Amino acid sequence: MALSMIYSPLLLLLVSCSRRVVSKTTGPTPAPLVPTSTLPTYVKSVVLKGESHTERLELLNPVNLTLECTWAGNQNKEPNITGWWLKDGNDVPNSRVPVELQNEQYNLRGVFSVNNDTTLGNYSCVFANEARIDFLLEAPQIGDVREKPIVSYIGDSTVITCKMDDTKPMPITWNWFRDNGTEKEQIIAESSRFEIKNDERKTRLVVHDLTEEDSGLYYCGAVFAISTPMSHVKLKVITIMEPLKPFLAILVEVVVLVAAILLYEKTQSKKKATAENVPSADQNNTVTQEEPNGPEGSPSTRQRKV
Amino acid sequence: MNLSVHDTYTFAAGELNMSPAAASNLDYTPPDGGWGWAVVFASFISIGFSYAFPKSLTIFFKEIQEYFSVSYSDIAWISSVMLASMYAGGPISSILVNRYGSRPVVMAGGLMVCAGMVLASFGTSIIHLYLCVGVIGGVGLAFNLQPALTIISTYFQAKRPLANGLAMTGSPVLLSTLAPLNQFLFDSFGWRGSFLILGSIVLNCCVAGALMRPVNKLVKPKPDIELSKRNGEEVEGIGKQPDAHLSVDKENSCQRCLYRFIDFSLFKHRGFLIYLVGNVAMFFGFFAPVVFLAPYAKDLGIDEYSAAFLLSIFALVDMFIRPATGLIGNTKWVRPRIQYFFSFAVLYNGVCHLLCPLATGYTGLVVYSVFFGSAFGMLSALLFEVLMDLVGAPRFSTAVGLVTIIECGPVLLGPPLSGALVDIFGDYKYMYYACGVMMLVPGIYFFIMHYYNYKKLEEEHRKSADVEKRTSDEAVTLNANQDDQPVNE
Repeated sequence: MALSMIYSPLLLLLVSCSRRVVSKTTGPTPAPLVPTSTLPTYVKSVVLKGESHTERLELLNPVNLTLECTWAGNQNKEPNITGWWLKDGNDVPNSRVPVELQNEQYNLRGVFSVNNDTTLGNYSCVFANEARIDFLLEAPQIGDVREKPIVSYIGDSTVITCKMDDTKPMPITWNWFRDNGTEKEQIIAESSRFEIKNDERKTRLVVHDLTEEDSGLYYCGAVFAISTPMSHVKLKVITIMEPLKPFLAILVEVVVLVAAILLYEKTQSKKKATAENVPSADQNNTVTQEEPNGPEGSPSTRQRKV
Repeated sequence: MNLSVHDTYTFAAGELNMSPAAASNLDYTPPDGGWGWAVVFASFISIGFSYAFPKSLTIFFKEIQEYFSVSYSDIAWISSVMLASMYAGGPISSILVNRYGSRPVVMAGGLMVCAGMVLASFGTSIIHLYLCVGVIGGVGLAFNLQPALTIISTYFQAKRPLANGLAMTGSPVLLSTLAPLNQFLFDSFGWRGSFLILGSIVLNCCVAGALMRPVNKLVKPKPDIELSKRNGEEVEGIGKQPDAHLSVDKENSCQRCLYRFIDFSLFKHRGFLIYLVGNVAMFFGFFAPVVFLAPYAKDLGIDEYSAAFLLSIFALVDMFIRPATGLIGNTKWVRPRIQYFFSFAVLYNGVCHLLCPLATGYTGLVVYSVFFGSAFGMLSALLFEVLMDLVGAPRFSTAVGLVTIIECGPVLLGPPLSGALVDIFGDYKYMYYACGVMMLVPGIYFFIMHYYNYKKLEEEHRKSADVEKRTSDEAVTLNANQDDQPVNE
């Protein structure tokens, strides 16, 4: 969905609550399924041509939601067009209504009961396939998701955390889930190996005595009245052998280099020592220069150079 | 057949009628090349690990903090303990280098850090980490830093600033290598596995140690008065030990003991005192700006990756400036007055920080990072070169040990104090002003004091030249009177 904030059609948004009133109420007591009260409305700027616009809504509690769309229309300004609603790209049944041009504007209004995961999602009002406004309804999302896996070792314990941003509302509580192949299974804190510590905005799952089977995805869910948004962290459990291999490899490299350097130095100094002995032999053994007799070039035949 | 390094240090320095200043205080000619370049490479590695290793460990802190359920400041203590141990281990390192030479100490240091990291990888509490990574690791790194610096002073004389500049480049290069490497290790092996592998990586310091062959002392020195004048080194001898150059065995064993441990006579050394006082003041404002660069950028509204990129720019500029500074320091115009170059570097840092608050927006900060990188690099490259220049090679080992342990205080207190400034005023600019002043004042102090010191040195040099002339005249007359006696040499 394009998030073009700059050019957008004029729209009015009315949000109403049925049970928990967030702000002032106006109007008489309505019939069921019709809005009971109104909340702050806000107006967006007008766009001349039909563009799309996306609006994000964070809901904590179940509501009866009224969404109103207003479109300024295109050049044709037909007196009557059709408008309808989409939910997650699918037509909402019985939502296709004729829209009259009033005061140079088209108005479309929809009422939706939003109270759980399935009713949250993307609601769109469409004007005759020309203009469209998307409303993204969701519970507060857990930011700060850790993308890289946590690596831990067999027998060790590990800590997995989830945090709700300071800017977002606080969840009622936190739950942890483990992927069981087919579905997510909730982790019960009472079992010996798992420990769950909940602070208001943070939750920690401590797993003791890790085994290789503990690898996989772990889900933390922030519980709100309306739904439980989740975020996942991957845990990888490895043996001590894994880091041990590079450790030993580098160890071998160091030993080889040190030995090579020290050996090189020894041979160098040996060469120097033999080189130094030769000139002194020349000085003391002019005889041996002419008669290379090795062992006979002994001190007894030495002659001092003048 | 190489003489062990410690023999040099037991000789008295600056025998007046033999080797004034320069090849000074050394009774042999340093190679200034040859195997020296391998030693520079070895020092590059050792110094690099010493400075970069503690900084690169911060990548693991968040995970370790969650694992042990402690606060971030508890974790940050690991870095502080490591740094403190590294600086406090200085004198111990000096003693060992004086006794055994650089090579065994560096290899021992490498083994110590490796052992510390391997033990830490099995750690069960935060205290365990403080001890293994902090204390053992820190002292092991101290055993790398001091000898690496010392051995350069034994191998180089004429090209020493260049050698120092090149060796100090190890720090930014290794930091740039270790940071992404640590991230990769962490993603693949978690913190425990990473510590284990880092233990083996740091064992490469032993390879560096193997390269640190003790220098060949058999080459006789060249009495070169011209050379000494150019280098402007001091001529004064130790004063305590007359005629000690004749024979090591004849030396007073008590004085030898003293000389072998901490040479407190350094505290009477004018140049050393100037250096010490200035450095202690300067170090309060030295590291804090680096630590706060990224937080400052984020405070100005810059996103996390661009802020991290600023540090990369800083490190890159730092990397190239250090050898360049070494080259400049080696030129014949700068070398005799290298203390002024150092003072300029300190001043430059101060000015940089004072001007930083003027930098608004990302481009301003990039410019600041570039200038700061060059200032920091310049200062780091010269930091130990000027100490060598002041005290001479034989006493350098002890000097650097004393300097590091005294600098321990400002190095540890600097960043927290700056952080407190930021918290009190709620604004980073006061911290930058404070750091700027903390570097500007020592810079000016250095200029004044070194001007005075150079003057004094020239005076002393002239005096010693007179004495030398007199003694050589006496020797000539003495030989003239004794020419019928057989001369045994």
